[in-house]
This record gives sequence, C-alpha cells and structure tokens, in this order.
Amino acid sequence: MDANHREEDCTALALDTSSSVLAAAITRNGRTVDASHSFTERNHSVRVVSDLQDLMKKNGLTRAKVDVIAVGQGPGSYTGVRIAVSAAKTLAWAWNKPLVGVSSLEATAFSAWTKLEPRHAAAAGAAVSDAAGDAPASAGTVADAGAAVWIVPLMDARRGQAYTSLFTAGRNGEWASVEKDGIRLVADWVRQLRERYEQLEASERPSAVYLVGELAFLEGKKGPALDLEALSAGWPLRLEPSVIDAGAVGVLAERRFRLGVQEDIHGFAPNYTQLTEAEVNLIKAGTESRI
Amino acid sequence: MNRPYHLLAIETSCDETSVAVVRNGGEVLSNIVSSQIDTHRRFGGVVPEIASRKHVESITVILEEAVEAAGVTLEEIDAIAVTQGPGLVGALLVGVVAAKSLSLALDVPLIGTHHIAGHIYANRLVGEIEYPALALVVSGGHTELVLLEAEGSFRIIGQTRDDAVGEAYDKVARALSLPYPGGPHIDRLAQAAESAIELPRAWLEPDSFDFSFSGLKSAVLAEINRANMKGLGVEAGALARGFQESVIDVVTTKAMRAAAEFGARQLLLCGGVAANRGLRERLAALCAEAGLPLLVPPLALCTDNAAMIAAAADLKWRRGEFATLDLKAEPQLSLEAWSVGRA
Ligand SMILES: [Zn+2]
Repeated sequence: MDANHREEDCTALALDTSSSVLAAAITRNGRTVDASHSFTERNHSVRVVSDLQDLMKKNGLTRAKVDVIAVGQGPGSYTGVRIAVSAAKTLAWAWNKPLVGVSSLEATAFSAWTKLEPRHAAAAGAAVSDAAGDAPASAGTVADAGAAVWIVPLMDARRGQAYTSLFTAGRNGEWASVEKDGIRLVADWVRQLRERYEQLEASERPSAVYLVGELAFLEGKKGPALDLEALSAGWPLRLEPSVIDAGAVGVLAERRFRLGVQEDIHGFAPNYTQLTEAEVNLIKAGTESRI
Repeated sequence: MNRPYHLLAIETSCDETSVAVVRNGGEVLSNIVSSQIDTHRRFGGVVPEIASRKHVESITVILEEAVEAAGVTLEEIDAIAVTQGPGLVGALLVGVVAAKSLSLALDVPLIGTHHIAGHIYANRLVGEIEYPALALVVSGGHTELVLLEAEGSFRIIGQTRDDAVGEAYDKVARALSLPYPGGPHIDRLAQAAESAIELPRAWLEPDSFDFSFSGLKSAVLAEINRANMKGLGVEAGALARGFQESVIDVVTTKAMRAAAEFGARQLLLCGGVAANRGLRERLAALCAEAGLPLLVPPLALCTDNAAMIAAAADLKWRRGEFATLDLKAEPQLSLEAWSVGRA
C-alpha cells in the first residue's frame, strides 16, 4: 500500500453476522454513512445479501464506489460467522476489491464505546492498534496511553464461557487491544480483570470497566451463574448491554486498510477460536497429535 | 436467443465444494470438485461442522479455478445456480450465501436448485432424455425412484424408509472394518468373492416401490456376530457379496417393475452409488433384456458435482423461474415441489 493511498477517500461496505444481529453498513472516511441492523433470529443467511443490496440502492452506492469490503471475522456463532465471511469473500473476489477482516469482538467493544463515550470515540483516529492481528499490545501500553476506561466485550460461548478480549479507550480517543480474542470462563476472566485492576497504581486505574455485548446470558439459567453484586463491589465494573454496529466494522476496517492491511481473499476464514468437537475428541483419543 | 449463455453453478450440500460453468445448458466448460474426503476419513464419516469450515476456506478458490478453466470472464456469466437443498444445512449455507453474493455482484439472476434434480439431469449432459423417463437415484443420502412424466416434472414413486443405499454400504463396511467410504471396498470384495452368504431381501408390500435396508444391515451384523461367537473368522468376501446381491436384486427389480408400469422410455441411473460395478452390470443386462435404453452418466458426473446443478438449473433458466436474494438453504427441500411451473 503506497503512502498516497492512505490519504484518499475510503468507502467500506461492512458486514457482521457473528451475533444475533445481522449488521450491515456503509462507512466513509471514519464515519458511518448508513447502517442496517436486523434481528433475524439467527437466520442471517436469508437476508444477508438483500440487506446489502437495499443499503446500496438506498445510498446510490455502486460497485465502482466501494473501496473496501469489511467483515467481522468472529469469534461468535460458528454458523453465523461463516455467513458474513462467505458473503464478503465472494463479493471481494467478484468485484476484485480489497477485503479487510475485523475482530467481531473488537467491533462490539468499539460500537459500545461509541455510544458510551461518543466524543472520545469520535476523536479516535490516532493510535489504533492492529487488534485483529496476532500480537496483542503489551499490558504496559495501557498506562502509557493514559487509559480512561476498559472495555470488555463478551459473547456467549456456552458452558459458562464467553468469547472475550480487553480494550482500553483513552480520553483523547486512544484505542488499544490489550488481550487478544479468546474463549474464557467468565467467572475466572472477571476475577483476572479485577486482579489486573488492583495491581495498578490508583492513578493508573481506569475510571470504569465496561462489560459490553449481548449480556443476557450472564443471568440466564445456562449462564455462568455469576454473583454480579459481589463481583462488582469495590471497583467500577459496569454492565452495559449492547449490540454490534456494522459501522464499527467499517471504521475499524478502514483504519486497518490505511495501515496497509489486506486479507488474502482465498485463505481468509472465520476466527472460531476453538477446534471442532470432533477434532478435540480425535486429539484426546491420541490418534493424532495435531490437526 | 442466439448468443451462447453461461450458467455458473455452486454445489456445497455435503463434503464436496464444487463450481462449474456450463454453456447453453449442456456443454460443460469446467467442473471443479474439491473433495474433503481425506479430511473426513479420519473421523469415519462426514463431520458437518468441519464440512462447513472447509467450504468457507475453499469457495473462492474453486470459483476462480472454475472460471479460469472455463475460459470465460465473470461478465459472460448469465446466471448463478446453487444447490438449495437437500443436504447438510451448514454446508448448504456457504454455497447459498456465496451464490447470492455473486448474483448481487454480477447483477445476474439466481436459480435455487434441487440436489436430486441435479443428479437426475446429469444425464442431460451426456444425452437427450426422452419422456416419460424413470430415474433410479442411489447415493450416500438418497435411494429414490423418480418418474419424469415431462421435462422438469418430478414425481417420487418410491423411496427408502430407513437407510439410503450408500448409508447401508458404509455401515456394513464399518462392521467389516473396511475404510470409509465403504461402497467401493464392498463392491470390490463382492466382485472377487467365489460364493455368497444368502441374505434376506426386503420387498415390502407387493405393489410398493419403496425400499428398506435396515433389516439387511441387521442381518449382516448378525452374521458377523455368529462367526465371532463360533470363533471363526468372518468371511468378508462372501458376506459382502451376499449383501450386495440383496441390494442389487431389490433395487433393480423394483426399478424394472416401475419402468414397465409407468411406460418409461428410458431408465436413468444417477447418484454416487451408480459407480457400483455390480449394480451397473445387472441393470445394463436387465435393460437390454427388456429393450429399455439405460442412461448412466460418467463417474465424474455421478458423484456430487456442480455441472449437474447447472444442468438442472437450466430447466428453470429457460423458463425464467428465478429465485430472489432471500433464497434460503432448505435441508429438506422437496423434489416434487421443485418441479418447473410451480413458482
Ligand atoms: Zn448427491
């Protein structure tokens, strides 16, 4: 990616189907132009392409005006994530456009932050980490960035687990990935976050730790059975239920694109964060040491 | 219309990712099939979640290969056909979403296609079908007798009440400790065997064209148990031959009876199990005796592939029966309801 390209206008067509929301958006130069969010009861495959088409028609967006195809890569519902990824790969290939994947968890976190702290989020644009990449920023950068809040996206992964990660959002719009996407036991994870919080000097501590995303599962019968009251005593833990906004997928993808990131369309696959049950069993059976 | 037209077809209903480009409904320009069989063999069968994952990983690679091999540009594609069902829902979804995306990207019509109609119309890629025709569909997931009174009209006159033929083969192969998929191994053992262990035939009601293979499968297991109890080795060859003879006897007898009853002018053998040598030979002999033309597509068009989907989709292309971008993968899609002229 040459330097000139980074200054040019950038229009992204963005899509995410990792959660209960079928989210599509058009973003341009760091802002959402239009977005559609359908709650389709996990039947995203029906409307996924028609929602894109409607959005494009409504906004007069043609193939020629699309610069990037942006997609939430997961983690999340296996079937769900495959829908957006299959659509995005195919569109990018057929139109010969760059494809940029974004962590669906990061997009969930960023969407929530945009609503919680709109002024700060709007200022974002400075240092944005390569969060969907492999290397998480070191924990040291949290304090350096003058973190104002922690944002912890959670997505139900059953059996008391969640797909989750940790982001810090600074007062001047700094946005950094601190822990990469993974599947974790919710109760353990919240305890770890608290320890991390307590180990910081009082002046370095975030003013709030937001758990965001579709949080109903925390209280459901099959949820992790958290004593939320006890867990939130003594530190600023806040539950902020939210849904992913495809605008965040587009904005984050545009940033990655301007940093020179582009996916290999053929090799691009969802980030499931875990092996299938059949593979796990095969490894357990010891018939193969690795897949 | 004089200009040639091109259908691009996608098939992802089970463990094969396939894309084909077919010109004018019958000329196969490319038919790329990426089989996941090596991946699934380790698990002794198709693992749906893994099949879906593989389809996502392969889909654009296979699209590109098929378009390049066909020597056409995307601008020359006139419609996108895709297997809508039946099949594994997670596997179907990948193909359906990719097809819808292509339909939007290229601004061309979308044709949702029935997988079994594809198996049947694979015959159209090698010859003309004369109606009424009778199709015997035998595959890993299906065992059906389908009457085609006219082009694109499907009527199921018989089907399995339990296992599909291919399924029964796989289960018996597993009991005999043969590798997955078991069909070819049983076929080979049966051909080589000098004798057969006589096994029952499930004829069902005298006028029925339905099938049942679970009793036969149990009989095979009982034979194996008996041999083991006596401390004797299982006579795998004789058992395989006995099993295969029972299957072939029932399947071919019912197919011939149905062909006669409905006045079929052709018998079409379709589906992956059409590769079975024993079945082909017997059916060929019976058809020759009855003076009934038998059509069998070459092996590459019998197993799951996208060219057959294009061949079936052509029925709807010529009639302008297109799907909307809201097309939904239907794991239980009905063949009869998919007939032309029902939309
Ligand atoms: Zn098939």
